[in-house]
Amino acid sequence: MAARRLQNFINGEWIDASTDKFVEIINPARGTLLCEAPMSTKADVDAAVKAAQDAYPDWRNTPPVSRARYLHRLIELMEDNFNELSIVQTTEHGKTIDESRGETRRGIEMIEVASGIPSLMQGYNLEDIAHGIDEYAINQPLGVFCCIAPFNFPFMVPLWFLPFAIACGNTFVVKSSPRTPMSQVDLFKLLDEIDLPPGVVNLVNGANEAAEALMDNPQVKGVTFVGSTPVGRHIYRKCGETGKRVIVQAGAKNYVVIMPDAVLEEATMVSLLASFFGNAGQRCLSGTNLLVVGDDAAYKRFMDRFVEGASKINVGDGLDESVQMGPVQNAESKQRIIGVIEKGIAEGAKLTLDGRELNLVGDVPETCFLNPSIFENVTPDMSLAREEIFGPVASVVRAKDLDEAIDIIHDNPYGNASSIFTNNGKWSRQFQHDVNAGNIGINVGIVAPMSFFPFGGRKDSFFGTLHGQGRDVIRFFTDPKIVITRWF
Amino acid sequence: MKLNTMAGVMTFVSKIENDSASFYRNYAKNYPELESTFMSWNKENSKFEKNIKRTYFGVITDTLESNYAFQGLDTDDYNFETQLPENADSSEAAKKARDIEETIMNFYLKAAQLSDGLMADIPRLFRKIAKKREERCRSLESF
Repeated sequence: MAARRLQNFINGEWIDASTDKFVEIINPARGTLLCEAPMSTKADVDAAVKAAQDAYPDWRNTPPVSRARYLHRLIELMEDNFNELSIVQTTEHGKTIDESRGETRRGIEMIEVASGIPSLMQGYNLEDIAHGIDEYAINQPLGVFCCIAPFNFPFMVPLWFLPFAIACGNTFVVKSSPRTPMSQVDLFKLLDEIDLPPGVVNLVNGANEAAEALMDNPQVKGVTFVGSTPVGRHIYRKCGETGKRVIVQAGAKNYVVIMPDAVLEEATMVSLLASFFGNAGQRCLSGTNLLVVGDDAAYKRFMDRFVEGASKINVGDGLDESVQMGPVQNAESKQRIIGVIEKGIAEGAKLTLDGRELNLVGDVPETCFLNPSIFENVTPDMSLAREEIFGPVASVVRAKDLDEAIDIIHDNPYGNASSIFTNNGKWSRQFQHDVNAGNIGINVGIVAPMSFFPFGGRKDSFFGTLHGQGRDVIRFFTDPKIVITRWF
Repeated sequence: MKLNTMAGVMTFVSKIENDSASFYRNYAKNYPELESTFMSWNKENSKFEKNIKRTYFGVITDTLESNYAFQGLDTDDYNFETQLPENADSSEAAKKARDIEETIMNFYLKAAQLSDGLMADIPRLFRKIAKKREERCRSLESF
């Protein structure tokens, strides 16, 4: 039997892409074929953008409170389909079912915040800027925006943008990840059910050609992207050339600093294990470099527990409820990560826990699985410490004190997130103040983005000015128009 | 079976609430003096399950850590029988109910203790339901 072929959602209709290129979507835990995703063409993208552009004038004139009501209906449908939405994420990505449910909840939270648009979008005014003259700022939408989505949070990431964009009165096109497109198809089935005017939201399944077509299309006013730094750099440059607004959330190499006074309770260990190995390390907020400060005794005390905890993580199919870590998303990722491990060994780091030695729960093919790996004796100049791995590999670096730890962090090209574990307020304050990263955790392993605060990194982890989510994203999706009035 | 994850705990919560509810449903009619109590507990169990699931789905974003929150929970420690011997009298039924309630109470208390450092709402609700179970045990003493 032929595999199910995904369709695009354009102008309120589910339609076939105009392509003969399809990519097989494989369940990484089971190796089974889930569906085929079309690699949509420029013509498909242009049709989606045209639909969005045509829908824009009426949509921007729809009162914000009415636009918000569509979002309320979407929330209701998502709650009703919570588990089904989550299972699809696990099936196509590999993450555990709890992680998928967490992703679904975070997605819903975005819509909840965006549905407050009648308040969020308000402008401001001042009487008598000169005698008898008033001035006010009106936040207006701009037109068509789009999201080029990543594979690692296939459901949630487009929701960092879509609900805010359409709540502001813009229209939207999502290009799903060619590796994990099913979650977006399921989301759009719900968007279809809430009966938005045709063209307000559109979905195109595809890869590079579709992404380039979005950036080339002059009717697209802004692009949002989450993915790797090299691709992010290209998108930022291209959007600059074509005069589009852009949010590029790029790669990361996050340090987690363990000070000698860190409370090594169970909760701390759990937080660290979740940080380094949650989502099989395929998260831009994952801890990847563990920077341990202190003498040999403190180091050993900490490492014994960390290695023991990591070695006990149950790895297997994420739908198995005993499993704590799923596979990486595809076989190429696994081979790439094995290459990183081999390079680390060649550079002289000590592989304390070798995740290539598989210990899996249940009868699953080994194709995409790795167990957690931990390297010790890593120095800041090694590729293990500098390059994004995007897999379940922890690199342990040592520093003599906090000043040296901060210097090491600053030597890294990325600046997405950094955490410190300590009970010392002065150290915490110094860390928060000095570390050049977009997100700081204090006794928190993952500085998880919340819908009501902006999220974005620094250095090579972010390109743009305004961040996703929170008040920043409202500013991104609107432009303040200044009106100065005088009446005679 | 060892329980590690929040999802695993949720499935087990459904099992113990449903199994105990079916015990109360099945035997309520056999013991007129226990009937109203058993039938109300049957109904209350489904409320407990619903509340826990609602809370779980509401705070699931904590789950980045909840994959590791229940180390040390083993379902084998909380199994219970829901069959009474034929011709069992009401005191035997009450004793069986007490055993079931004690087992469930111990499960919730242990799960609350293990997850305390990581989550707020779930352990709080587990303790609340454990307290209800304790009250049930006390009320059964009079039978």
